[in-house]
Amino acid sequence: MENDEIINDGLQPKIKKSAVETVPPDSENLIEKPDEKNGFSWIWKSLLIIVSTIIIFIFLLIFVIYFVPGFQEIYSGKTTKVSDSTDIRKDASYKKQTGLITKDIQRLSRKYATYTSGQTYIVINTTLNRFFLYSNKKLIREGSCSTGSYKRLLTAGGKSWTFKTPRGKFSITGKRTNPAWHKPDWAFIEEGIPVPPKDSPLRWEANVLGDYAMDLQDSYMIHGTIYKRLLGMAVTHGCVRLNDADLEVVYTTLNIGSKVFIF
Amino acid sequence: METEVVTKRSGIRIVLIILILLICSFIIYFSVMSAMAPARKLEIIKNELNSKHNDQNSIDNKILTDSAYSKLLKEKSFLQSRIVMAESDSIYLIIDLSDSSANLEISGIVVHAAKISDIKASKILLKGDESVIYSRLATPFKISGSTGTIKRDPILVKMAPKDTSEYIPDTPPDTSLNEPVNYILETTDGTRIYVYQEENEKRSDQMSQFVFDTKDKVQNAISSLKSVIAFKVPDYHLFIKIKIPRADAKIIYRALPKTGQVAVFW
Repeated sequence: MENDEIINDGLQPKIKKSAVETVPPDSENLIEKPDEKNGFSWIWKSLLIIVSTIIIFIFLLIFVIYFVPGFQEIYSGKTTKVSDSTDIRKDASYKKQTGLITKDIQRLSRKYATYTSGQTYIVINTTLNRFFLYSNKKLIREGSCSTGSYKRLLTAGGKSWTFKTPRGKFSITGKRTNPAWHKPDWAFIEEGIPVPPKDSPLRWEANVLGDYAMDLQDSYMIHGTIYKRLLGMAVTHGCVRLNDADLEVVYTTLNIGSKVFIF
Repeated sequence: METEVVTKRSGIRIVLIILILLICSFIIYFSVMSAMAPARKLEIIKNELNSKHNDQNSIDNKILTDSAYSKLLKEKSFLQSRIVMAESDSIYLIIDLSDSSANLEISGIVVHAAKISDIKASKILLKGDESVIYSRLATPFKISGSTGTIKRDPILVKMAPKDTSEYIPDTPPDTSLNEPVNYILETTDGTRIYVYQEENEKRSDQMSQFVFDTKDKVQNAISSLKSVIAFKVPDYHLFIKIKIPRADAKIIYRALPKTGQVAVFW
């Protein structure tokens, strides 16, 4: 150690001297070195602060978004311990209570059964474009159909029609054979044809609705089609189209007043 | 100079320590407030039920914990719910967790049935006070809003042609079932019913579900943060999460009215 110090002591002044003598005044490399180091460390420190801030922020986000909802699921309140004790079942108040509730259940079951009693009805699925025909709670036929296209026709004048099959509970209000179609305004507007007066014969078109038509509410119908390749697709103006064979079965099975469930 | 640098450094350290302490205490405060939310929700449900059914209080608690009585109570609650809904002419959803089914019904008629492959629910609903839960389930949930990865009504707007020269016949629609189907049905009492598609092998499906879930979680976190900042216990939403096939999920979402009803059976 002592030797080192001596050597260093001997060299230091020499180096300093030579440096001052040899380096030109415009070159300040040696003098600036400590500042550069500071600059680098400052950049590193800033980077470290930024990165750690981002990490803390991400941690906080994950904590708040994912962990806290987990804490909420720790609590379940007062847990009911369900027992099978026979002692309580001998109790008079128990028997009274179960008797009351059983009566309630029987009453409610009878009431509920009235909704699902044997009847003939058709179920139409507008998402898959399929129909299901039931008689006495049994499926007697199913197949493809076409329902509303979800298109909204807009005119320059601001009128609009949305071609959507209505959903819910309906009933057959009328049955027709060899129906002719009384074309509404949109049928002309859609094709760019001038709209004829309401009583114009131009509004009547035969042989487009198949052999049968069954009326639902609000001018919607279940009918046949000449566009059979489009069955199974959402292409209609709101009516339900069936192929000829299915239409005949549905027509003969359903009566006026039969329920139509569309969903 | 050196003493100035030392005081500066120690100043920064103090600020950092204070900041970390503040963040930690906020995390603890936020966690405690959020953890209190379910208890508060259960208290609200109990109060509502007590005001509605004072007669139930007279029933001995021992009877309520009996498995046979509990089963009867469950059946009665479910029937009550179904009758309420069957009396309306609109479409409603019945989620039966005991036989893992989600059925669409109209006036008591099952018009569509779907098989549930996975069920998750709030711990309060799964392990909580059964009498409270059954009484709660006796009334159907009313849908107040929904958010989903698909549109409820996929309306396409088409401008009417001015004359026959502008008329272009419609092209058949794309009937492929590829879009990811995940949605949340919000009910008027704050309960949320999450419906996810079962199919989750494709990366696009996984991504869609992750984004959809994260969006929901972020929204929940924001509303919780708002409450906590205002020194309020955040709202807790009871939830039921089910997984069903994509086609069924789509059918149910499109079929249910915007203000439809849902009954849940345990």
